Amino acid sequence: MTALTPAPVPVGNTTPAVEFKLDWLSQQGEWGTHAVAGKQGLTLADVAIGSYGETPEFSDNMTGRPRGAMPRKASYRIGGYSIRTRSEIWLDNASFLYEEALQRQWSSATDVPWHTLEPLPDDIETAQCNLATFLTEVEFVAGDVPARWIAQTTPDYFEPRNCLLAQVMDEARHMDVFRKRALANGGGLTQATGGTAGVVGSIDLARDFTEMSSRLHISGEGAVLTIFRMGELMAYNDAEKAIYRLCAQDEARHVAFGVMHMRYMSEAAPERRDEIESYLDEAERQILAGSQNPAGQATTSSDALAVLLGGGRDKYDEGMKKLQAIRRRQIQEYIKRVRSAGYGERFDNGRSRIQDLMASTAA
Amino acid sequence: MADQHPPKYGTVARSNQWGTRVKPNKHGLRLGDINVGVYGEIPDRWEDQTRNPRGAIAKKGVPPLGYAIRDKADLWADCAADLYEEAIQRRFASATDVPWHTIKPLPDVLERSICQVLTELCQYANCDIEVISQWQHQMAYGYHEVKQFLATATFDATRMYETFRKRALCNGGGLGLEGPGEINRMILESRGGWSETVTYLLLMRGSYMQTMLRYLERYAQNDAERSIYRFALEAKARQITYGLDHLRYSIAHDDDRRTVMQMLFFIGDRVWARELGDHVLREALSIIFAGGLEDAPTEGNATYNRMMRDFMNEYLGICEWLGVKRDLATLPGRMSQFVIAAAG
Repeated sequence: MTALTPAPVPVGNTTPAVEFKLDWLSQQGEWGTHAVAGKQGLTLADVAIGSYGETPEFSDNMTGRPRGAMPRKASYRIGGYSIRTRSEIWLDNASFLYEEALQRQWSSATDVPWHTLEPLPDDIETAQCNLATFLTEVEFVAGDVPARWIAQTTPDYFEPRNCLLAQVMDEARHMDVFRKRALANGGGLTQATGGTAGVVGSIDLARDFTEMSSRLHISGEGAVLTIFRMGELMAYNDAEKAIYRLCAQDEARHVAFGVMHMRYMSEAAPERRDEIESYLDEAERQILAGSQNPAGQATTSSDALAVLLGGGRDKYDEGMKKLQAIRRRQIQEYIKRVRSAGYGERFDNGRSRIQDLMASTAA
Repeated sequence: MADQHPPKYGTVARSNQWGTRVKPNKHGLRLGDINVGVYGEIPDRWEDQTRNPRGAIAKKGVPPLGYAIRDKADLWADCAADLYEEAIQRRFASATDVPWHTIKPLPDVLERSICQVLTELCQYANCDIEVISQWQHQMAYGYHEVKQFLATATFDATRMYETFRKRALCNGGGLGLEGPGEINRMILESRGGWSETVTYLLLMRGSYMQTMLRYLERYAQNDAERSIYRFALEAKARQITYGLDHLRYSIAHDDDRRTVMQMLFFIGDRVWARELGDHVLREALSIIFAGGLEDAPTEGNATYNRMMRDFMNEYLGICEWLGVKRDLATLPGRMSQFVIAAAG
């Protein structure tokens, strides 16, 4: 083996001076920037000032330089970004959502009161494990898929990209917390549903960012958010309550991303409205029939939910009534989101068939 | 479609291992703690092409998702679960955790130098983000610990990116000239496998960036900068730990991996040396280390040389630790000038 010895480096006055070019000192972005921290600290919104806050409608940044930095003419075009038009990914409150994500990080290891878990009746534990298995399976769809779009997005739009990166982190934690729940109380992981398969119309296979976002954020995570918000009804101890509550706050940010992006898209790219309506048609076809909604019809996770909501296998019918109410709420919340995103007229002009679905969930 | 009635419970196998009850310990309930029984059995190859959680009963007939990385030797590191939990415990929000008020106006040339270095560090962090995130979804679900750790790694890189940017824009300066990007290109083009990416991104660039961050922390002008570099150092240390552990595992389970790495390092050294020829970063760092322009060509440059010597020691030490033989005679001059070899 070759022994390595550090090269001696002369210091102080014995150091020979090297010649500096210093040409870069005059090749900089806008100078004299004084971002000031507000009462929330120094946020991303605070540094979006001057030319550094200007996001181009079309990005020609193919070298990956930070927005506002001085381009170097000899740099390689290494970006290969497919998302270079602002309307394709932008939303107005990305900085806010990102900073909130940072402030609301939590740890499944220490922020969930695991000691409150007590043995549960077998049918309830089975149902909890079934739901946890399903959520372990689907949560990282929402991690894998946004990750795939990040490298395709120019860093000129780093604010929405940061939100997606925070989402990948959130979903990793969701996946881990539900796995932990399944293995912490005398149960185990049950049968996977295969609900996240690579089939046409799935979140994984979307070819356009907004299409993906409508499937993932508006429809898929929207439905899961309703379930998490109803966590009090399904939880049998403080640990489970904490899990649903913490996951709900993360999920709400992800859904907000989708709504706000779609709203921006609606205003900035009206020529794409018909196309977006098609994505929403698809989302509505799948909202209860698809297998990525834990409350979807004829899924084992909805069986599990009915058992949990009813209070046991023998109270399945009672639980199913509550589940129907949750499904109605999922649809109502979906309608609110789509209206908020600027596509509400579909519910008034007959394009949407969501009211038929609502009728099918009538108690 | 109507709901099932009565529920299907009892008609299907309930679990591969029912009765699992992992209790929290003084560290809480960590990811590694729940690797018990069948749930902790991590196969050398993960054949399942769906998102079947490890240890769950697989469902047949599910259309595949097409994961490219399904061999344990191609991504595994025993420390991934621990690093994941550590990353989560070390919460950091630059908006509120950096004492921004400690930043005071600096001489113009010093501020310009700091902003130049931060601009290039932003690009390093951007490279981390783009490279790691394009691999994550290609990794099979059976090795979820690694996927989860990498989620923290990209999140850390995101925080570095925005924190470096905030520092550059809060003290009368701005962003500088973008970096040459040749090493970024090499890392982005390392598509032969995740282990190749780990070699370039986490070991070569990682150890270089870690060394630079150490020096920047040492020569920081205020507590805000110190806290920024300290956070970045912690995150970088986790990445390098994963990288080392993975490559060691990979080398132990793949006969050819060590030789491939030798070739990768040989190629990478040449790209590295070309980028080291760029004077911009060297001059900016020298000015920071000297505290101004006056002593930058002498003392500042000497400190830069010390930093490079430390980097080369770190880099070659990593190669040695991994058992990847390096012929020092083949190192490009811009790297070998910081190393002298004595025959052992």
